[in-house]
Amino acid sequence: MIRFDHVSAAYAVQTPVVRDASFTIDNGEFVAFVGTNGAGKSTTMRLCNGLLKPTAGRVLVDGVPTTELRTSDLARRVGFLFQNPDRQICCKTVREELEFGFRAQDALTDEARARVDATIERFGFDANAEPYLLNRGTRQLLALASIIVMEPDTIILDEPTTGLDFHECEKVMGAIADLHTRGKTIVMVCHDMEVVADYAERVIVMTAGEVVASGPTFEVLRQRAVLERAGLIAPQVVDVSLRLVERHPELAGTPIATANTLDEMVAAIEAYAAGAKEAAR
Amino acid sequence: MIEISNLSFRYREGEDLALRNVSLTIPSGQFVGVTGAAGSGKSTLTYAINGIVPHCYPGDFYGAVRIDGHDTAETSLTDLSRLVGSVCQDIDSQMVSSVVEDEMLFGLENFGFPKDEIEGRVTRALADMGISDLRDRAISSLSGGQKQKVAVAAILAMEPAVLVLDEPTAELDPASSKGVFDLLARYARIHGTTVVVVEQKIALLSAYADRILIVKDGGVYLDGAPADVLAHADELRESGINCPRATSLANRLRARGLYAGPVCRNVDDAVAAVEEVIA
Repeated sequence: MIRFDHVSAAYAVQTPVVRDASFTIDNGEFVAFVGTNGAGKSTTMRLCNGLLKPTAGRVLVDGVPTTELRTSDLARRVGFLFQNPDRQICCKTVREELEFGFRAQDALTDEARARVDATIERFGFDANAEPYLLNRGTRQLLALASIIVMEPDTIILDEPTTGLDFHECEKVMGAIADLHTRGKTIVMVCHDMEVVADYAERVIVMTAGEVVASGPTFEVLRQRAVLERAGLIAPQVVDVSLRLVERHPELAGTPIATANTLDEMVAAIEAYAAGAKEAAR
Repeated sequence: MIEISNLSFRYREGEDLALRNVSLTIPSGQFVGVTGAAGSGKSTLTYAINGIVPHCYPGDFYGAVRIDGHDTAETSLTDLSRLVGSVCQDIDSQMVSSVVEDEMLFGLENFGFPKDEIEGRVTRALADMGISDLRDRAISSLSGGQKQKVAVAAILAMEPAVLVLDEPTAELDPASSKGVFDLLARYARIHGTTVVVVEQKIALLSAYADRILIVKDGGVYLDGAPADVLAHADELRESGINCPRATSLANRLRARGLYAGPVCRNVDDAVAAVEEVIA
C-alpha cells in the first residue's frame, strides 16, 4: 500500500511541483495518473519509490515513511519503469540485463536463474542479444521484464506505451495486465486515454501539482469539466456517448448514455435502433 | 514541394533495404501524416527528406530526393536545413543549450536572421506553442513533454518551407498533442508550409492530415486521404496500426447492416453516423 499524506515536493529552488497531495493506493489496485505535461505526475512516481523525498508531508509504503527506508530496500517492494528504457538498460546481453537486479542484491540464486529463464521464454527474448541493438518496443519490454523478474509487489510505470506501435503497445500492456491479475499493484502515468480506458480501474487526475480528481476510471473520464481543466480528452467512445446525450437529451437513461467501450456502444446502439423499429410498428 | 523518385536506401550496417523504391510527390502546403509499425522505415523516410540520409548515415542510396528542386544528395546539410526544419524523435539529442531562450536563438542566430526580426520570431513561436512562461527556464528542469514543445517551437521560429517531425507528440498530454496538430495545420494552410509528420496516434493523423502514408517494409503500402486509408481497417491492423475507435465504431455498425455512410475519421463523424442509425 502506498499512502500520500499532504505531500509536497520540489526540485532545487523552484516552486513545488507536487503540492499538498494526499491519496492512498491499496494493494492490488491498477491506478492511472493523468494530466498535463508538467502537472507533477512523474515527480509523484519518483516519490512513490523513494527516488525523491518529500519536502513536506509523508509518503508511506506499507506504513513506513520513505524517508526511513533505504532506496535499495524500497526498490525490492516497488519496481520502477522509467519513461525512457535507455535510462534503465545497462548490460551487454538480454540475460545479463534480466539478472542485473539479482546481482545488485547479491541474490543470483538457482531460483533467480530459473526465473530469468522463464522470463526469457515468456517474452520470447533472444538471451544473447545486445539490448541496445533491439528496437524501441523490445527495449521497453526488456526494461519491463527486468522489473517483473524481481517480482516486486508494486510496479510503477512512467508512460509505458510512449513511442510504441499498436502491436508493441498490446504486448507491453498485456504483460502489465497479467501482473495485475496476479495481484500486483500497478501505478502508471499515461497520456493515451484509450490505454487508460482499456486497463486502469481508477484514475487520479493531477493539475499544476495538485490532485484534482480521483475515482473509478469511467466516472472520472466522463467529467467534461475535470478533463478540460486537466488538458485531457475523453476516450473516443466515451466522447461519442457524451456528445450524443448532449445533443439528444432523450438518450439520457438509455445504455448509449453509459456505454464506455466499443462493445458496449455497439450493443447499445443496436438495441436502441431495434427498439425504435419496434415502436414504429 | 518534395519529390521522391525511385528511392531505395540500405544502411551500411544493415542487410535489408530500409527503404524500397519509394516514389512520392508532396506539393507545397500539404499536411502529410506518416505511420506504420516499428522498424517499417518511417524515420528513414524523414531522414531522406531532411538529408540526414545520405549525408550522416552512410549506405547504399538509389534514386533521388528533391526539395523545391534541390537534390538532397548534392546539397549540403547546412543549405538543406534552411529549407527543411526537423524535430527528431530523441529530443535530448536535439537540444544544444541549457536555457529555453538560448535554444530558441541558436538556429535563428546561426542562420543569420536579421536581429530586429529575431525577438518577434521567438516570442511568436513560444506563444504559438503555449510555452511563453518557459522562456527563462533551465532545459534540465523541464518535463519530457515541455522539452518536446521547446524543440518544436525552436524549429517553427525559423519558418522553414518544409517541416519534418518524427513523433513530435510522443510525450505530450492529449490537449498539447492536439495543440501541436492545430498549429501544424495552421502553418500548412496559412504559410503554405509542407508538413510531414510521423505519428503513432492515428486518431490525430486522421483528424488533421490532408493525406496519410502507411509505411510497411520500407515501402509506401497505403497512400491517400484519411477516409480512404482508414477504409482498409484489416490491412492497417496487420500493419501494426489500430484504427481510431470512432472509425471502428462506425465500421462495426456497418458490418451489422446498420450504417451505410462514409468512413468516419473522427468523433464528429462517428456522432453523425450514430445519429443516422438511431434517427
